[in-house]
Amino acid sequence: MPESIDVQLKKGVLELCVLALLSREDAYGYDIASRLSASIGMAEGTVYPLMRRMQGDGLVETYLVESSAGPSRKYYRLTAAGRASFAAQRDAWRAFARAVETTLGDPA
Amino acid sequence: MTREAFIARLRSGLRDMPPNASADIIADYDAHFAEGAAKGRSEAEIAAALGDPDRLARELRAEAGVKQWEARRSPEAAAVAVFAVLGLGAVDIVFLLPILIGVISALFGLMVAAIGVFVAGGVVFAVGPFVQPPGGPAVALLAGLGMMAGGVSGGAILTLVSIGLTNALVWYGRLHYRLLKPAIDPQPPLPREPATP
Repeated sequence: MPESIDVQLKKGVLELCVLALLSREDAYGYDIASRLSASIGMAEGTVYPLMRRMQGDGLVETYLVESSAGPSRKYYRLTAAGRASFAAQRDAWRAFARAVETTLGDPA
Repeated sequence: MTREAFIARLRSGLRDMPPNASADIIADYDAHFAEGAAKGRSEAEIAAALGDPDRLARELRAEAGVKQWEARRSPEAAAVAVFAVLGLGAVDIVFLLPILIGVISALFGLMVAAIGVFVAGGVVFAVGPFVQPPGGPAVALLAGLGMMAGGVSGGAILTLVSIGLTNALVWYGRLHYRLLKPAIDPQPPLPREPATP
């Protein structure tokens, strides 16, 4: 069953997008989910399995912050390994995107 | 779907996981509902945006199974990881199952054969000196030792092959899962502009 190219592209960059988001500022689950859902249109529930895997791989760690509205929030921040992984994936992505752009050429 | 129904389906999907791990996961989704409600979204809206709880549970279980296999190389962990990855549907089970059953039966048969050779070697070693074998008792003792060593090394090689196969299957399944296959909803295609003449 072939998937649309749009979905293929999204799933390839999901982890990179989370790393990029967390490289700018720490964030909690709902925040990450709603921002990625708005920017690249992923299902919000997908973020939690992804965060667990990234935590298991040592790319992110969590800490709790008291929230004025309701229970305390679980924030995610990048570890040193997460920052290194982000730099490597970002460079790989940029090189790849440039190569594709060059291949596509200028729109006629 | 209501918050309660979503959490109940997630919980039942995760019932085979260690209780503290599943409690952690459920707390994540519970917090998500609370945050969403504070932002004024309805439970049905939030549940729809989260996606299918059964599928989320399968992904979380597969991830946990794979982690366990990576941490502890035991036949039990291998079985859990393989079934969790298969349950994900990442590996086309209809295509793979006949091959997998064949491979597993062959491995099992060879393992039984290796144990048989080891036992036979032990018997030859033990009774050799008492039954006047051709070539004398020393030959029987050496032959017995040789067969036992052969059985052990055969078993060791089979174990390595099984570990390699499990790793390969887990890697293949994870390749699909890592990318969180159908959990990302494809956006419906935009309605086309009516063709202008």
